[in-house]
Amino acid sequence: MITPDLIPLASNFLVPNGTFIVELIAFAIIVFLLAKFVIPPINKAMTARQEAIRQQFADLDKAKEEANSAKDEFEAQIADARKEAARIREDAREQGAAIIAELREQAQAEANRIVEHGKTQIEAERQQAVASLRAEVGSLATGLAGRIVGESLEDDARQTRVVERFLTELEKAE
Amino acid sequence: MSGTLPLEIEIHPGEHPEWHFLGMTFNADTIWNTVIAGAIVVILGFVLRSQLTRRQSENHVPSKLQILWEAVVSNTETQVEDNLGRVHPFVVPLAVALFFFILIANWIEMIPSKINSHHGEVFVAPTADTNLTYAMALLAIVGVWVYGIREKGAKAYFHHFLEPYPVLLPLNVLEELVKPITLALRLFGNIFAGGIMIALIAGLVSWKIGPAPVGGILAVVANVVWKLFDMAIGVIQAFIFALLVVLYFGMAGAGHGDDHVENDDQHGDHTPELAA
Repeated sequence: MITPDLIPLASNFLVPNGTFIVELIAFAIIVFLLAKFVIPPINKAMTARQEAIRQQFADLDKAKEEANSAKDEFEAQIADARKEAARIREDAREQGAAIIAELREQAQAEANRIVEHGKTQIEAERQQAVASLRAEVGSLATGLAGRIVGESLEDDARQTRVVERFLTELEKAE
Repeated sequence: MSGTLPLEIEIHPGEHPEWHFLGMTFNADTIWNTVIAGAIVVILGFVLRSQLTRRQSENHVPSKLQILWEAVVSNTETQVEDNLGRVHPFVVPLAVALFFFILIANWIEMIPSKINSHHGEVFVAPTADTNLTYAMALLAIVGVWVYGIREKGAKAYFHHFLEPYPVLLPLNVLEELVKPITLALRLFGNIFAGGIMIALIAGLVSWKIGPAPVGGILAVVANVVWKLFDMAIGVIQAFIFALLVVLYFGMAGAGHGDDHVENDDQHGDHTPELAA
């Protein structure tokens, strides 16, 4: 058993001895070394990393913004292009329609002109035929009639009158 | 049931191999374990320093060692800033050194190192020696006093011993003296008790019931359980020591005690609000 009278003050472990001085110095050295060489770089690294993270977030925001604006621009361009294409198609359709209408009109005019030309030609030919008929039918008819009647119908005035009357009746019959 | 328990267990609390120099006694095992624990802390710090300077700015991904250090340093800085209002260039390294060094010093005990029966363990916790805990507490409390005087001026600092009533002067002085003593003895007591527990558990080995080494088996189990528990105690004590030192700094700088500190803070916070 350990009894108080057996423990001299020197070996009472609650009483510090020379070790205390060594420990004081040793611990002071540890604190000094950490304060001087270890803590500052740690703080620096932490600050640097915080700064880097902040920077990265800022960059990210900027990149996102840029991407968005590029996308908007791109979409606007696409929309423009679509509009342009639609406009060109519309124009082409209108032009095509106009061309077709014009051509149709031209063809119609040409056809009309041809018909008109044909009509006038026919009329001219008819007039010609009528004129030549009128000349020939007179002499033919008088010759024929003279032969039948035996009477000379050489009297021009009478002959002409007869023929005229005949032709008039002929035209009426038509 | 003819069990035999050893009637006497040979443990020698507070007994150290000694060196004598200049008429003073030095506890050799405390000193060499302090040097070992301190060297571990400092070397870890310097390894980190070299890592940081080597990879500076090229990549911000921290190493595991860096994460460990940063966790301790940033938590300490948060505590210091909360209590002192700013990151003080002396208090932060002091608290970090206290925490890391006490932690390693406490854990050194876990390494089994009894070389032979004539000598004690080679690795004992230096924190189980009051010389170390007194030294750390003294350094801390002197720092607290110096900080308090510099922060408030000598007159204001010493005046707070007379507050709230001059009658309380003895109590206030006593409080100031109790701080370092409780710091030192709380740590010493916890770690010293851990060492005694290990010695007691080791003493179980000679307990046998017939041929069955009951004590041996029990000692192995109890040793594992106790050492794990003791490691947790080591962390907690290191944390408490460092935290209390920071709190003492905060009290010395701000007011006359916890209640007054809070009241002062509230006044400080409320006045600008009312003004605004």
